[in-house]
Amino acid sequence: MVRATTAVGAVVGLGSCATNAAQDTWQPKGPNAKMIDDLQQPIFAVAGIIGIIVFAAVSYAIWRFKDRGQPIPEQTHGKPALEITLTVIPALILAVVGVFTFRVIFDLAKTDDTELVINVTGQQWWWEYDYPAQNEWGITQPIITSGQLVMPVGTKVLLRETSRDVIHSYWIPALNGKRDAVPGRIHTLRLEADEPGIYAGQCTEFCGLSHANMRMEAVALSKEDFATWVANQQAAYQSPAEGTLAKEGESVFLNQCVRCHQVDGLKRPDGSLAIAAPDENVWSGAAPNLTNLMTRNTFAGAMFDLLRDACRDDVWNAESAEFGAKYLAGVDEACLNVNDLRAWLRNAPEVKPMYANPALLADTNGKYRGMPNLGLSESDIDKLVAYLLTLK
Amino acid sequence: MFKVGSKLFLGTTGFAAVNLVAYLIFVERLAIGGVALSMLFAALIGVSAAVLMINDGDDETQPRDTALTRASMWPLIAAVGLVLLVLGLVVSQLYFIFGGIVLVAALAEWMVQAWSETASDDPAHNEFARRRLLHPIEFPVIATLGLGVVIFSFSRIMLAISKNAGTVAFIVLAAVVLAVGSMFAIRPALKPALVSGICVIGAVGIVAGGVAGTGAGLRPQLAEAAAEDHFSHRECGPEKAKYFDKKAMKTLSLRSNVAAVIELRDGKLTADVYGFSGPQQQVSVPRANPVTFIFRNFDSAERRMVAYLGTAAAATPVDGEMADKHGDTNETCTQLIPQGAEQALTITYNKPSIAQDNDKPFTLTVAGLEGQAIEVVVP
Repeated sequence: MVRATTAVGAVVGLGSCATNAAQDTWQPKGPNAKMIDDLQQPIFAVAGIIGIIVFAAVSYAIWRFKDRGQPIPEQTHGKPALEITLTVIPALILAVVGVFTFRVIFDLAKTDDTELVINVTGQQWWWEYDYPAQNEWGITQPIITSGQLVMPVGTKVLLRETSRDVIHSYWIPALNGKRDAVPGRIHTLRLEADEPGIYAGQCTEFCGLSHANMRMEAVALSKEDFATWVANQQAAYQSPAEGTLAKEGESVFLNQCVRCHQVDGLKRPDGSLAIAAPDENVWSGAAPNLTNLMTRNTFAGAMFDLLRDACRDDVWNAESAEFGAKYLAGVDEACLNVNDLRAWLRNAPEVKPMYANPALLADTNGKYRGMPNLGLSESDIDKLVAYLLTLK
Repeated sequence: MFKVGSKLFLGTTGFAAVNLVAYLIFVERLAIGGVALSMLFAALIGVSAAVLMINDGDDETQPRDTALTRASMWPLIAAVGLVLLVLGLVVSQLYFIFGGIVLVAALAEWMVQAWSETASDDPAHNEFARRRLLHPIEFPVIATLGLGVVIFSFSRIMLAISKNAGTVAFIVLAAVVLAVGSMFAIRPALKPALVSGICVIGAVGIVAGGVAGTGAGLRPQLAEAAAEDHFSHRECGPEKAKYFDKKAMKTLSLRSNVAAVIELRDGKLTADVYGFSGPQQQVSVPRANPVTFIFRNFDSAERRMVAYLGTAAAATPVDGEMADKHGDTNETCTQLIPQGAEQALTITYNKPSIAQDNDKPFTLTVAGLEGQAIEVVVP
């Protein structure tokens, strides 16, 4: 028992000392998170002091008055002065905490000075981001992406959150608190990052089988780099050159993937636009838009990195001045985390549980929750990987 | 150990157990019926245990001998309930349910009365035992039924008289209730018979009024509204419903979580989109997710908002909404609403904007207002 307690204590203690905890709530990287931090630090200190006093008093009472066979002391009832004092002091402390808490709540809810609006839609088990047209940012046509939220630094970004299926909760600890994404409602959450970089988060409302795998990353770029990213996202689709493996992969994509996944500008052999129909195949009605997939660093609801470990570390640990260029370089063949991507294409439900058992589809009118096993051949996977690498 | 009451409840418990097992085997395992029967079984076990523990409630301090039973009305009422129950199988579900309730209540009263009359040789003690057991159930049920009849009768009065007369009647009745209640409160020494008499006279008066109101029927406006087709507006043509609630605003929750508020003011159509400053001409909404727009009309004329839903199956109004997709036009719309009123419209856009003709995007327009439209963009 003592050993187990010591071991647990050691793990907790050492865990608390981690310096690379990407989701540490005590390391704010933006003004909204700092507001919360500035509130919680003194409250935590005051609560800690009060806690120590209470524990000390209780421990003293237990030790001092424990049963040693002494006679029961005189029993009295009621001490109004003491009782009132012990009621008023906590009430005053809570009132002070309440005043500062309400001020922070209202400050965090401000939206009238918003500079950039991004619609965020949650579904099992990934986040979709769409950027409505905003000419001041060069967004002349909507941009749609997933997994990574890209935003300019030093900018008040307003997320308009909703959900397509169940309740999810959006949380990037370094940038702000949590906000539920609820079907039928639009909730707002403001993010602002001080420095370029990647800030990790994850869904914090239990939302089904792969809730723990529903992650997200906010990528903050300098305003110049953000403009570059916007321009690239709006660039016209480039079909792979004829006779290449990637061109064959495009055909596989058109035969298989486009049933759910949209790639803007992709055309069928007859010249018509290929329009995905996730509303006919997926329970949530949506699947990630894969236009410019290789400009992102993650896939499968940010559960997997598109970059190999070394390349990923190179981007994550880049200095602020170099971060934008490294992130905008996207994913190339040398850096592609091909093993996880191939495993995903081979049998997605095997690597990310998604209720893909056909026997359970009756409850969803034949629609899948997440990506099913498509039964692709290794040859098709080769072609698809080659094609996906061109989506930059 | 096992007396009449114990045998009765144990038998009922066994019967419930058999029913439960039969249901689970022959009907369905995971069904609400199984849960209900399980609860009934558990409740009967509790009752049986209680009856066993109190030894059927027999008071052994009282001498037991042959006791004369009183005449009882419960067999007659149970028979009426049974007839209604059987009749309901053929005539109406309402008869069946009402008959079932009457039958169960009468059997319960009958059983308890039969038990209490043989509990001891002292009729007074037996009556006390019966009351002790049944009054906690009888009084709330009778009070609820009585109040229900009074409230229902009052609603019949309100539906029969005009709106203005209804307002006066409501105020007068409320004032009378307040005055009489105050009098009872400040004069606690009033005779119970007087208090009961006043309450009974008031209740009888309202019930009589309700009977008269039912005979008179609904006031003309309500009768006409009941006969209207409240969904006639879905044709986006001339308004047919005369008494439809054109100021329908749905719920506060919905109104605070809309995709956009579309306003018609001074002949100009604009969108107020939360998060964006100033009026907008474009609204971006997620695909395959119901989104709600509120249309506010500040124009002096009655106006309706029309949503163009694109090519076939590109977008659908949400089921159960007041607006519905109309025929071949691929449009849905709000009611014609007067100045200052507003109405919500909920739509699911299943296909993206790029799937639509370039010259015919998803739009929100106002009928009769040419050249203005709010574009709905679906990424």
